[in-house]
Amino acid sequence: MRYFIYILSLIVIAVAPFFGQISIEASNLYNPSTVDYKLFWDIRLPRVVVAFFAGAILALGGLVFQSLFKNPMSTPYTLGVASGSTLGVAFAIVFGFSSLLSLFGFLGALLTVIILFTLTFKLQSYETNALLLVGIALAFFYNAALMILFYLSDESQSFEIIRFTMGSVDVVGLENTLPITFAGLGLLLLTLFYKKEIKLLLTSNDYAYLKGVEVKKVNTILLIGVSVAVGICVSLTGPIGFVGLIIPHIVKTIYQKSAEQLMIPIFFYGGLFLVVSDLVARNLGSSSDIPIGILTAFLGGPFFIYLIMRKR
Amino acid sequence: MKLNINGYSNTILNNINFELKKNQNLIILGSNGAGKSTFAKVLSGIMPSKHVTIDNKQLHNLNAKSRTKYINYIPAKLEIFDEYITLDEYLNLSRLHTLLASKNMLKFLEIEHLKNKPCQQLSSGEQQLAMLATAVLHNAETTIFDEPTANLDPQKSRDVFSLLKSNLFQRKIIITHDLMLAYRLGYDVVYIKDGTISFFDSSEKFFNTLNLDHYFGSSVKIIDNFVLVNL
Repeated sequence: MRYFIYILSLIVIAVAPFFGQISIEASNLYNPSTVDYKLFWDIRLPRVVVAFFAGAILALGGLVFQSLFKNPMSTPYTLGVASGSTLGVAFAIVFGFSSLLSLFGFLGALLTVIILFTLTFKLQSYETNALLLVGIALAFFYNAALMILFYLSDESQSFEIIRFTMGSVDVVGLENTLPITFAGLGLLLLTLFYKKEIKLLLTSNDYAYLKGVEVKKVNTILLIGVSVAVGICVSLTGPIGFVGLIIPHIVKTIYQKSAEQLMIPIFFYGGLFLVVSDLVARNLGSSSDIPIGILTAFLGGPFFIYLIMRKR
Repeated sequence: MKLNINGYSNTILNNINFELKKNQNLIILGSNGAGKSTFAKVLSGIMPSKHVTIDNKQLHNLNAKSRTKYINYIPAKLEIFDEYITLDEYLNLSRLHTLLASKNMLKFLEIEHLKNKPCQQLSSGEQQLAMLATAVLHNAETTIFDEPTANLDPQKSRDVFSLLKSNLFQRKIIITHDLMLAYRLGYDVVYIKDGTISFFDSSEKFFNTLNLDHYFGSSVKIIDNFVLVNL
């Protein structure tokens, strides 16, 4: 059954680039002189690749944050990492560093992680409630800072920021998908490398410590790894909410296994989720695409509330 | 191996000086909130400190792998975040310095049938046994047990007593409120009061009537080799 779903999903991903407002003839794919060729290789395929790896990074990043902070609500989004990244990108747009969007997005994410991390160790333990509150406070702060940037920006910059915050997997040219592809695969390899340590940290930090894990070091490496990947992802796609929250929960509920055994499925289904969401977003609107971030937040919001209710 | 704490203080403990000789087992007693668990956490390195030495080497300078050889701490309550980690998986994470298979340990404690059950769904008594099993599998030179009989029925308490008495562990440090357990084990006793060590001597000296009156008022008596609490 599981393999069946895997294979079905692979087929969905494979055919996804063929669907859109303009249909593509499969026979034209190897004929560079056709419009279909350009449409497929330069627009549709990069889009699917970006959607897949963005979803994969967000889902796996969510899982890692939940495991390390030991709270089902902590993800790079709820703790403000993505807002930090968004702010960095907006800063780059307003102050004329348009060519360095990724770098600023990444720096924003990293800054947030440093803040969270310093506070965590100041508190001496992972007081996850305090940390979530810090995340909320940071989100307010970043939002205010974003408003200042809006205030300072001209009309076209404002539009650029707004469009960015809606989230999009529009990327033209296959070569531009390389950073996010590497970020995704790199994050997957990193988490697989630390599988044993993650499993120990999934019990408790004390237990992991007593069994010989260098808790602080492993936490630092993994959180920075996630932030780099999320930073690269957000600077490319804008904030796409709730993937990191929904996918780990759904996959865990289906598989009923400990988190460290689910890294590959969560990576895969995170990717699949965004590919399908993008497919819907592209084909739903009659005249133009619905921004994908809006779609996932629509699905994610109610689910988040459901999760909170279930925990009570 | 020799275990020392020299001049340690924090908000709960106050100027702790303490030395355990090779193979010396220990019982730690003390009222609620006196600082017993904090003491254990300092000793095991969970609360990092420069004041703890093992064979004259500072505990916090040891690398993570060799540290596991020296010391292990079994908390009073099982703490586990992931809701799907099974008993068997949990035990295997602790197989460090032993040749024993986790399934033998499960058989020995008669909890084999719970093997594939998530730890979070075990009863508190079962969790207690699971933690004791991890202590055997870890096989550190010193194991600190924090109230190992707290959640157990009388029969299981007895099983745990024989487990603690057995040669499955190397050095044991046992924190407990169970005076009967402390008395029957017969190890040297540390009594912690208001964050300081107020008694550190042999079992015989601790369990004499005058001393018991000093620490417990008239509420604890020894009659016919049974420690009784007068309610």
